[in-house]
Amino acid sequence: MRWLTIVVIALAMALAACQPQPAGIESGEANETDTGGSAAGDFGPPQGEPIMAVLTTAPNVPPPVNRDYPAKIIVDMEVRELDLEISEGVTYTFWTFGGSVPGNFIRVRQGDTVEFHLKNHPDSKMPHNIDLHAVTGPGGGASSSFTAPGHESVFSFKALNQGLFVYHCATAPVGMHIANGMYGLILVEPPEGLPPVDKEFYIMQGEFYTVGKYREKGHQPFDMQKAIEENATYVLFNGSEGALVGDKALKASVGDTVRLFVGNGGPNLVSSFHVIGEIFDKVYTEGGTRYQENVQTTLVPAGGSAMTEFRVEVPGTLIIVDHSIFRAFNKGALGMIKVDGDDNLPVYSGKEVDAVYLGDKVMAEELSLVSDVTQAELTGSATKEQRVNAGRVLYNGTCSVCHQQDGKGLAGVFPPLANSDYLMADKRRAIEVVLNGLTGPVTVNGSDFNSVMPPMSQLNDDEIANILTFALNSWGNEDGEVSSGDVAEVRAATERPQGAAH
Amino acid sequence: MRNLIYAIAFVAVLAWSAQLAQASEFVHISGGEFRSVIPEAEGDNLIAVDDFLVQDTPVTNAEFLRFVLHRPEWQRGSAVSLFVDDQYLATWAGPISLAPESGPQQPVTQVSWFAANAYCESKNARLPSWYEWEYLAAANGDMADARHLAEWRQDILSWYSQTGGDQIADVRSEPANYYQVFDTHKLVWEWVDDFNAFLVSGDNREQGGADQLQFCGAGAISMEEKENYAILMRVAMLSSLEARYTTRNLGFRCARQGGVRQ
Amino acid sequence: MKNRTWISGLASIITLSTLLLVAPVTLSANDNSLPPQSVYNLQVAVEDQLGEITGLDRYKGQPVLVTMFYTSCPHVCPMLISTIKLTESKLSVEERARLRVLTISIDPERDTPENLHQVFQRHSVDSGRWSMVRPKPGDVRKIAGVLGIKYKQLPDGEFSHTTRIILLDRDGIQVASTDQLGRPDAVFLEAIRTSLQ
Repeated sequence: MRWLTIVVIALAMALAACQPQPAGIESGEANETDTGGSAAGDFGPPQGEPIMAVLTTAPNVPPPVNRDYPAKIIVDMEVRELDLEISEGVTYTFWTFGGSVPGNFIRVRQGDTVEFHLKNHPDSKMPHNIDLHAVTGPGGGASSSFTAPGHESVFSFKALNQGLFVYHCATAPVGMHIANGMYGLILVEPPEGLPPVDKEFYIMQGEFYTVGKYREKGHQPFDMQKAIEENATYVLFNGSEGALVGDKALKASVGDTVRLFVGNGGPNLVSSFHVIGEIFDKVYTEGGTRYQENVQTTLVPAGGSAMTEFRVEVPGTLIIVDHSIFRAFNKGALGMIKVDGDDNLPVYSGKEVDAVYLGDKVMAEELSLVSDVTQAELTGSATKEQRVNAGRVLYNGTCSVCHQQDGKGLAGVFPPLANSDYLMADKRRAIEVVLNGLTGPVTVNGSDFNSVMPPMSQLNDDEIANILTFALNSWGNEDGEVSSGDVAEVRAATERPQGAAH
Repeated sequence: MRNLIYAIAFVAVLAWSAQLAQASEFVHISGGEFRSVIPEAEGDNLIAVDDFLVQDTPVTNAEFLRFVLHRPEWQRGSAVSLFVDDQYLATWAGPISLAPESGPQQPVTQVSWFAANAYCESKNARLPSWYEWEYLAAANGDMADARHLAEWRQDILSWYSQTGGDQIADVRSEPANYYQVFDTHKLVWEWVDDFNAFLVSGDNREQGGADQLQFCGAGAISMEEKENYAILMRVAMLSSLEARYTTRNLGFRCARQGGVRQ
Repeated sequence: MKNRTWISGLASIITLSTLLLVAPVTLSANDNSLPPQSVYNLQVAVEDQLGEITGLDRYKGQPVLVTMFYTSCPHVCPMLISTIKLTESKLSVEERARLRVLTISIDPERDTPENLHQVFQRHSVDSGRWSMVRPKPGDVRKIAGVLGIKYKQLPDGEFSHTTRIILLDRDGIQVASTDQLGRPDAVFLEAIRTSLQ
């Protein structure tokens, strides 16, 4: 009997020891194992010949490391202070790693020794340095890389921790250096590399503080007071408003697996990163080792990162946003992924998302038509054809929601603009309607309407002139032209109601 | 004959006064107390500056050219590499000739601390100390200390918002300040005598954590007045330099009398 | 006539010699034998703990350890000197015999030869190979500039300064340096050994 008890107890203990492990969430392993951090990240001295790092400009990413031993990687990076366009017709003096914002993407393997050469271009006014969050050591390299204009510093570090890390300039005043665009990403791959995907892209959010308002034309200086108050003028992906839209949109095909290396340079704001029309199958939160699955929106801290992966199943345009939504629509935090390929109707039956979803925003690929005519306006040489072309783009972005792309409106609700007697009769009245809105009964082409058109006060004189010129020349309307001067005159003459449109 | 003498005298006076108009003068600055971004000891940043004289513009290319003509050991190519780097006077066309981008009335740049010091010594003068410079540069057109004005800070910051590759303007292109001194801002950085007394970390995230062994005495000092970005950036710039360095946007002016802090 | 010529000749010789002896110090050398990066291109006079005045290049021809300090320094400067002595003790007797040490004051007003001599004795250093010197006040910043040392005088008369020991080779070129105090820096020691060969 005692013998049986012993066996039972032993069996019970053995069974107790065999508790099922919590489901491993990395690589589907049954056991959860830690990477061991920096203590386990030193794989010994570098082997083989030193390798020159392949540095890429966003949104491109260097190819996977594809190596199974630690090596010495030489990174050659130049700091340049450059005047670049931040938005259409707006320039800003950026301080850059490698000539672009964000700076070049660096890709190494855990355990690699990086020999970092930081050069500061002789034209620079400021000294600069670099703090890489991948560095274990004082200042992240900042104290060893403090470089005067026209000089070069060299220092070395071993990448002991795997992950996706931010780097940035850390010269006093740090906030200003970061606010001027001095940040980028360095990926330290795990020793076994990342699982292969079809497309990899590099996106880095950052905000900018200018003395002038959002989209105020001309060269804009940095506004220190706004930066301290965290009152951003622009919130952008990859350093400029057009960086990821139109013909610079990211491209993928139906069936592709896509990986986004997402960084947030800040200096102040946290990002609520979301891709409209997609769900992240995996998010490596904060650029670390574990992933969460099935995520709609992920937080990217200022000075932090995240890696997201998803598979595209339907064609169309996916919109990348910071879901603190006013930043997307009023400060420029917007990008695009254009997916081509066959429809997948059971998954999504609808059409192209752009025109309706963007609301007041204009598809920037055709923004060039708008900027052409704006330029021409300045020299007094804007032609009617330019206005019509620009007007079409603007109309589709704003007015077509109600009045439809074919100008026919909606019976009983929205009056038609096509072949419209009301429109053609009085040009000045047309301008007033667009500027001030229209409420109450109105008869167009024999039909009665009694609706509310909100005032389109967010449109400026150029834009209204172009839209009306387009309308007056389309869908059977005979002819006509409206100039910005006409609109300005009406605007000045009328009492402006407060508040804007939808 | 008398007319000829008068004519010659007139031309001579004209030439002499033209010469004067080009040259910079030493202006008297009354001393006083002010709050510096660089405290003398932790938390103690009320600094007393004695009366001193200072040049009203940075030293120009024309003035420096005259200097190297008299002192050939300071010409480009002859100056020893202990005292200058390989970009010394790089914008000049030759050791004793200027180029279009280094016009005579532009401030001389690409000069090291040693070269600047030698120039000032040749004029029985010296480089200003940091405190003298900061005291002088606190002024705008109307008052001696304009540093609390947001417009003053933003105006200076706007210079940093332009790239440095553009042609440097002539001295006296902007109005003088309260002391009748020109170009303390928005033209070029300037050497000071004690540029290497900034025992502050260029990385201002390290403020307050002094490494006692690295810096004897009070240790690495934290900077005060952290909103004064315009001045902080000048400190960062000077602390990145070594005495033999030259850069495209760095010049100097000389001072006399007053206290020179060791 | 003959006397006058003889006297004027003597007078010119005397004048010339005096002039040469009291020649103003020039900053840069046209001495072709000195490499351009040599610290000895800085021709300044220094006065040692015995009151003897020489140029900065008093130990030219031997490897030299150089540092900057001041005698009333409470804490770090004694450590600087101890560290140099400790580093020296790791060398063989033959190696040490070829090495020189030059400590330069950043406080020449107060570091008179007497004060320097007291510190000299207190640390019992080898007078055949060590010198503790003070430059002229106007030259301190220049010496710190060529050595890459930062310093600042504080209101109470103390100084803040970076602590660095520099190795100059026989020609006065800086070949190594260390900021490590309290224990010998292995890499620096290796550089010293190499320079002594």
